[in-house]
Amino acid sequence: MIFARSWIVIGAAIPLLAASVLISIGLAPAATPERAAPLATDGPAAARPWIRYGGWPNRDTSKFNSLSTMVSPPPPKAPRTITTPLAGDPIAGQKLVADRTRGGSCIACHVMGPAGGADLPGNVGPDLSEIGTAGRDDEWLFNYIYDARVYNPATVMPPWGTHGLLSDSEIGDIVAFLKTLTRPAPFKSELDDPSRRPIPREQRDNLDPMINPAVWAVEERAPALWKSPGPGGAACVSCHAAPEQAFKTWAAAMPRWEPRLGKVLGVEEFVARHAKATTGHDWLMESEENIALSTYLRYLANGALINVDGESAPAKATYERGEALSTRKIGALNFSCADCHSGDKGAQKWIRGQWLGELRGQLDHFPTWRTSQQSIWDIRKRFQWCQVAIWADDLPPDASEYGDLELYLAAQNAGQKLSVPGIRH
Amino acid sequence: MTNKPRIKVPDQIRKGEIIQIKTLVAHDMENGLRRDQAGKVIPRKIINRFTCSFNGKPVFACDLEPALAANPYFVFSVRVDESGLFNFTWTDDDGT
Amino acid sequence: MQSISRRKVLSLAAQLTALATAGTLSPAYSAPAEAAAEIAKFTAGVVPDAGRITIDLPEIAEHGSAVPLAIDIDHPMTPEIHVVEMLVVAEANPWPRIARFHFTPMSGRAMVATRIRLAGTQTVHVLAKTSDKRILMAQRQVKVTIGGCGG
Repeated sequence: MIFARSWIVIGAAIPLLAASVLISIGLAPAATPERAAPLATDGPAAARPWIRYGGWPNRDTSKFNSLSTMVSPPPPKAPRTITTPLAGDPIAGQKLVADRTRGGSCIACHVMGPAGGADLPGNVGPDLSEIGTAGRDDEWLFNYIYDARVYNPATVMPPWGTHGLLSDSEIGDIVAFLKTLTRPAPFKSELDDPSRRPIPREQRDNLDPMINPAVWAVEERAPALWKSPGPGGAACVSCHAAPEQAFKTWAAAMPRWEPRLGKVLGVEEFVARHAKATTGHDWLMESEENIALSTYLRYLANGALINVDGESAPAKATYERGEALSTRKIGALNFSCADCHSGDKGAQKWIRGQWLGELRGQLDHFPTWRTSQQSIWDIRKRFQWCQVAIWADDLPPDASEYGDLELYLAAQNAGQKLSVPGIRH
Repeated sequence: MTNKPRIKVPDQIRKGEIIQIKTLVAHDMENGLRRDQAGKVIPRKIINRFTCSFNGKPVFACDLEPALAANPYFVFSVRVDESGLFNFTWTDDDGT
Repeated sequence: MQSISRRKVLSLAAQLTALATAGTLSPAYSAPAEAAAEIAKFTAGVVPDAGRITIDLPEIAEHGSAVPLAIDIDHPMTPEIHVVEMLVVAEANPWPRIARFHFTPMSGRAMVATRIRLAGTQTVHVLAKTSDKRILMAQRQVKVTIGGCGG
């Protein structure tokens, strides 16, 4: 039986090491395994070569930082000198600031007078409706758009010029438009004003199968997969006869450091590697089977409090790496996770009509059904999308950087109750 | 996704009571505007009619358009004056 | 700092405001005329009454793919007099008709809850026809966010 063979090979190869590693990791009591679970340690846990999901924007952003590369062009050493007045076209400028195809557009973050019909602008950046009377000259306005880092190294503002997103003449048009902004924005209703817009709260009952199609995966698909034998005849049920009892808290302690692979494993990668080693099933990350089972394993721990290891040396090192990754500026738009999701930057603010949440509260409902995508997204896919949305290269789902980030995120969410599958727009 | 429609009817119904029935059926409700990965338009295919009858008599019906969200969901009310059998039908564009 | 004449600023401001409200930034499927035609077909010349219809729609929908809609009509549902039909029309969808519902006295109450697709910020109209040929009407505006970042 393939299962027995695999277990013996992995278990016997490093029995003492496994035991001592387990002790030193000091896993949370609820999740301490009696023995290390068999894992397929060779090869990736997700499809290779890694290609972006169909339907996702396919722009080439390899010239900009990603979570695994640091290649973005450096900021200019000094502001560009503008001696002659810019002769931009304010009408063209007004069109540009509302143009979603141009990197999200300015009104995603700024209220700008009547631009965009004053319809659902964001407020991550300051309200610019009266910038025309704020005493800023052409040079300052130009450079702030071209690359705000010359004035404020810690800015969230994308470097539209340095990163080649807007041409000099387009920036000139925007400057011309900004100079016409001399009065507060004419909001048609309180909904349009981001400072008065009611904060959205997800009201739907995510565990009602009439509301959340993801529940069908845990009610029907996952239990069927649990019993489905692999090439050697073994199924999950061969060793785990009563998952509802056995895994009441397991997922709440994930992700965790896996010494045999030298990286953090989340539930999805664990499922891929463990199923392969024990049943022979090829349930790669992001496959329909993997998502159903990962959702199921978290669902079985619903109500348990997120509680990942933060004490062991590998966990501490991972946390540091994850924190650093969360502050790395990536993509053509030069955003870090923190720019949108930390309390002192973009969290609790709007980008257009979307509310940005803090890191805490972002994990307890994953994997989640996305009504706009008609599919279940796990946290790795969510990471990937976040990168693509800010015009950065995404990584494969099993990238070690994502593991670091996931552990950091889980630490921020310690004590949150799992409620899986979630449901979001 | 399962093809079995889901129906929620209250367990205990008193004569003359107005109850709420919830129905859900798995269906992509392709509106004919989406394109596949190759760029080709995915043709329209929706459930275009839902009916509910009680003891053979029509109670509630809906003519659906592509603007109904995927996995069509309805909550509607029925006054139940006698015991009997509810019948629900969902009709696809292709006649099934 | 360069200064522009006050007159130029004012005229520019007027142009920009006109541009903002005119329609360059309007939703992709703006079709109020088609919506009005659907409504006219339904009302067939009868002047609608306001009131009686309660429309439950979110003020802001984070995405238009599955917006919860609940409609309740405060009207008798007896064999003698009842709501017969209800039409839901959208002003800025690819096709203006969202759905048509049919009620009978056995409905007990003319109400329905469902989930609809809205292509962008727009007004949703609900019209109802009663067995004595009267028309009821109501509308609600929904702001639909098509992505800030989340997709």
